Amino acid sequence: MSYSALAAKGLAWPGLHSAATSQVIGAGGPLIKAQGLVKIYSTVSGDPVVALDGMDLTLADGEFVSIVGPSGCGKSTMLRLIAGLDDADAGEMTLAGKRITGPSSAVGVVFQNATLLPWMTVWQNVILPLQVGGGQADTAHKATVQQYLEISGLKGFENKYPYELSGGMQQRAAIVRALARNPKVLLMDEPFGALDALTRERMNVELQRIWQTSKKTVLFITHSIGEAIFLGDRVVVMSSRPGRMLEDLMVNLPRPRNHTDTIADPEYIRLAREIRRMLDASP
Amino acid sequence: MSAADPTTLNSFVAATIQRLAAQRRRERINYILLTVTGIIGLLLIWEASVDLFKMPPYIIPSPDRVLNALWSGLAVPLNSRVGFYLPLWNTLEHATLGFLIGASLGLIIGSLMAEYRSIEIILMPYAFALQSLPKIAIAPLVIVWCGFGNGSKVVMAAMLTFFPMLVNSFAGIRSTEPERIDLMKALSASRLQTYLRVKLPTAAPYIFAGLDMGVVYALLGTIVAEFLGAQEGIGVVITQAQAVTDVAGVFAALVILGGVGIALHMLIRITEKRVVHWSDRHK
Repeated sequence: MSYSALAAKGLAWPGLHSAATSQVIGAGGPLIKAQGLVKIYSTVSGDPVVALDGMDLTLADGEFVSIVGPSGCGKSTMLRLIAGLDDADAGEMTLAGKRITGPSSAVGVVFQNATLLPWMTVWQNVILPLQVGGGQADTAHKATVQQYLEISGLKGFENKYPYELSGGMQQRAAIVRALARNPKVLLMDEPFGALDALTRERMNVELQRIWQTSKKTVLFITHSIGEAIFLGDRVVVMSSRPGRMLEDLMVNLPRPRNHTDTIADPEYIRLAREIRRMLDASP
Repeated sequence: MSAADPTTLNSFVAATIQRLAAQRRRERINYILLTVTGIIGLLLIWEASVDLFKMPPYIIPSPDRVLNALWSGLAVPLNSRVGFYLPLWNTLEHATLGFLIGASLGLIIGSLMAEYRSIEIILMPYAFALQSLPKIAIAPLVIVWCGFGNGSKVVMAAMLTFFPMLVNSFAGIRSTEPERIDLMKALSASRLQTYLRVKLPTAAPYIFAGLDMGVVYALLGTIVAEFLGAQEGIGVVITQAQAVTDVAGVFAALVILGGVGIALHMLIRITEKRVVHWSDRHK
């Protein structure tokens, strides 16, 4: 089901996207477009490592795209480039038609670890984006953050410190923080990799709900095939290093998805087998 | 006992809690008893050895002579010219001033070295060379430059506090996790914001370890300067007592210094526990 179909079904959160929609450029074109990305790292031993070699990727507005691939395939590099944390050695990247040259408030990043600052309360952590780098800590933005806290089930935990929260709650707080500036895009780098299997499944459902209500465009990096299919509108499969796109698969599974039904769906099983075969064949 | 019966279960839980509390109490009492026994034992062995080996009191005085000297130094009015209070106040005043100057400079220069590679390259050789030099050896020079007064005491205290603070601030700031720096970069935070909000708190446990060392070194530096030539201070009390072979008086002054050292160390530890409340629990 597409993003617009979700909105039509009234699943979109009404109050949250006002600021985002005002920034939306001409509909139709991709929100993120990356072409021929190359990234080479120098190593201590002197041999350069080609992390990405001609990687292409497009994300439509409101789309949820998973990237799955073997570890070290450059999927995190890909995310760092789009986040503006690293510079590409070759290739073009645009966000809403504009070249990506550095970090932007239109992009929220969720890291592998929650990376909450332990000396700040949950509230201080989630409004950090509004207080640094030209962020605006006005009441409208704070109200948005409060809504996200509520959606993600963190209401009542504002004055707790990160070490008082479970791993799943910490990662949810990190997601709320990434949403604080009301970005158009959420980049997530294996955000649930450190969680236990059951918490992880629950977090997948939570993320789907947050995504459906916030109407963000999400790029989700994972090494779990199941997670990639469960969450994605599309799954991009990457080859092992140097990273290239092997396949771009549509996921035609009804939303909202849940583990009981989704993983028993023939479409899910077909996709999972296809991705696994591809990854096994890739050296 | 049946766990299904709530009243039985409740009384069982209450009994267990009581049992554990009693056990903790016993352990605490044991701890105090052992400590006191240790002190009394040590004093008895000391007294016995002095009697047994017929030690003259101008070499090693017996504990009761030291206690006598301690009492005569303490049982005077606070503003008395004789006794410990005025010299101790004088020593602490200059040690504290030197400590504050040395700690601030160490933190500032350590931070600059950690933040700017060029400053690190320029200053690191001197930091290394001076760090390996026994700083006490510079004391005669300091006396030449700053005279036999209070200036030398402050300079010595500042110099001895400076180096552990420099090294610890530098190491602490460099220990900031790359993911936290990425987070601030993704938020387009300025260098100062990243320093104040992420790097400085990350370095806090290191900085407190530096302060802990520094506070003892500041006292050491002040005493050394007092030995080499001063009119006031505990160091002067020690040299004067030594000059008249009042070894019990020297011992008493050392006991006072030990007590002050422990008090300062505790003060830093308590402050650290309050400020760095997250330190042991954030991982």
